[in-house]
Amino acid sequence: MSRDLPVNLEINGAAVALEVPLTETLLATLRERLQLTGAKRGCNQGVCGACTVTLDGVAVRACLSLTLNCEGQKVATIEGVAADPLIEALQQAFVDGGALQCGFCTPGQLIAARALLSQNSDPSVEEVQQGLSGNLCRCTGYRKIIDAVLSAARSMRK
Amino acid sequence: MSVDQGVFRPASVDEAVSVLARLPDARLISGGATLVAMINARLIEPAALVSLAGVDELHGITENPDGGWRIGAMTRHRDVAAERRFTGTLALVQQAASLIANATVRNMGTIGGAIAHADPGLDYPPALVAADAQIEIASGKGRRRLPASEFFVDWYATALQSAELVTAVHLRAASDGVGLYHKLARVSGDYATVSVALTMSSGVAGIATRAAMGACGPTPILLEEANALLSGSPGESELNRAGELLAAAADPVDDVRGSAEYRRLLIPRMLARAFTEARAAIGART
Amino acid sequence: MRIEGSFDIALPRAAVYGHLTDPGLIAACIPGCDQIERISPTDYRARVTIGMGGIKASFNLVVEVTSEQPPERVLSQTRGEEGSRASMLAADNEVALEEIDAANTRVSYVSDVSVTGRLGKFALGVMKKKVESLGREFAERLRERIQIQPAASSAPEAVPQ
Ligand SMILES: Cc1cc2nc3c(=O)[nH]c(=O)nc-3n(C[C@H](O)[C@H](O)[C@H](O)COP(=O)(O)OP(=O)(O)OC[C@H]3O[C@@H](n4cnc5c(N)ncnc54)[C@H](O)[C@@H]3O)c2cc1C
Ligand code: FES
Ligand code: FES
Repeated sequence: MSRDLPVNLEINGAAVALEVPLTETLLATLRERLQLTGAKRGCNQGVCGACTVTLDGVAVRACLSLTLNCEGQKVATIEGVAADPLIEALQQAFVDGGALQCGFCTPGQLIAARALLSQNSDPSVEEVQQGLSGNLCRCTGYRKIIDAVLSAARSMRK
Repeated sequence: MSVDQGVFRPASVDEAVSVLARLPDARLISGGATLVAMINARLIEPAALVSLAGVDELHGITENPDGGWRIGAMTRHRDVAAERRFTGTLALVQQAASLIANATVRNMGTIGGAIAHADPGLDYPPALVAADAQIEIASGKGRRRLPASEFFVDWYATALQSAELVTAVHLRAASDGVGLYHKLARVSGDYATVSVALTMSSGVAGIATRAAMGACGPTPILLEEANALLSGSPGESELNRAGELLAAAADPVDDVRGSAEYRRLLIPRMLARAFTEARAAIGART
Repeated sequence: MRIEGSFDIALPRAAVYGHLTDPGLIAACIPGCDQIERISPTDYRARVTIGMGGIKASFNLVVEVTSEQPPERVLSQTRGEEGSRASMLAADNEVALEEIDAANTRVSYVSDVSVTGRLGKFALGVMKKKVESLGREFAERLRERIQIQPAASSAPEAVPQ
């Protein structure tokens, strides 16, 4: 029943051909087969946001995506967007503002914040809260994350 | 690959129906947000999946010549939440979509997947019942349509038979008036503890109101008797009575989101708040 | 979770008691029960399948009758697991019969059920509703069968499904 089946994806710009079982999630494929461990496995239920990646440019939960169902799609993980100017600005703002402690949630926060800022270059505090409401953080208390996203948005507008 | 494993990608509704008929153990996958969470929790272990992603007619929102709307089953919550053309009494559908989960989950989940799953805590079911939407269903015998109030039948159960799928949600043309969806949840993005969906329009005979309560029982609760009380020129006693009737008809669960007793207490209060807000909005407009 | 309910049957209490201790009849009334067998004077083995929201679970249960107080009360314990899957079910059950009058009996049941493992994660509030509705369905089937055919059949009946 759980026989491996072929799938072709583009991951961080590179074509990848794999054989995986039907019920394998994209998160498992990334972390366990491809050693791309930036996306984290928090809840595996779609609740925490630590596994957020983009599929054809749209932010999604890697834990709720089945690898076989992503046939032909483009996956970008935090590793693959490191050179993106928006990610650089966000990373700098997170570092400057102390917006991470353990860092477990950070890759997901960055991908979600990038998705937000790419649609709205001048978000209000409330819009940032809304945009990141699906990304839980057990450490920071969120305020510094929100401030960092606002500050990255400011720096990008300059 | 053996012929009955893996992910099937039909290009048409007919093809999807015939795969489902041939493989009774295959499961449909739309956004996957619920289905994959269930796989991860080992609640289900499908042998084959039928993805609706490649069926063009299931994507997107189109306006009918009569001013009504067709929302394809694969339309993401994100797109309904962004739909500014749902005005007047239909605004509640857009509001309900915008309150589902969070931005990332709204990028994934679809209206067809949500209503087919029929979790009692979902936001669409009460909104679609209040809006008197019709659910379009495809089977080997063709298409049929059911009012939303008949589509939801029990806890996690719908009128869908085996080898059937939801193809679209139809909304009648908006009336001038107000559509409201209020959701009480523990935190932003959680399933509703209780929700209320309400449409109100005004005419010569006073106001006309339709209200449905969500997360208060196996299916959304809409009572003609309560709607009648809330229509015409209702006063406080009618509003209270309608709240009592809806609370009495509720069969809420006891769970982490709230006790059944708490949910019953919330029903009249949430109804009153939504009703008062809608009435003020209508008043401001006339 | 605690499941309770009661229903009335138009039969004398002693007759109802006789039916309630007839495993074949009980199996036929439990929704989703497709087999029951007596493995000792007090123990029964049963398989029960329930489904909801596309989830199917099949439990292998052992029911031990821990106390029989004819014609008033039966206490039992249910223990079981879901085949190779990781769910366990345990329940303490009490069925009490109360005489309404010489020809009518009220049956009350209370069951303290716990489910752990994969199914324990599934919407517990709704699970309770489901089990309650199974209780009502059981009552209806039982009433139908024993009121229509009042002579107690001691031989196990053919079980549907
Ligand atoms: C973290 C999280 C939070 C959430 N919060 C909320 C919330 O606050 N409010 C809310 O309303 N929802 C919430 N949801 C649920 C969300 O709306 C889901 O996306 C939705 O329930 C399922 O949609 P889907 O397209 O992902 O369906 P899928 O997961 O693909 O499918 C769900 C079920 O429906 C079947 N199915 C799919 N498409 C069809 C079809 N066209 N016809 C017939 N059957 C079909 C599938 O076989 C499966 O059984 C949440 C989900 C998550 C993961
Ligand atoms: S691991 Fe995917 S949302 Fe938590
Ligand atoms: S920094 Fe630790 S979880 Fe967010």
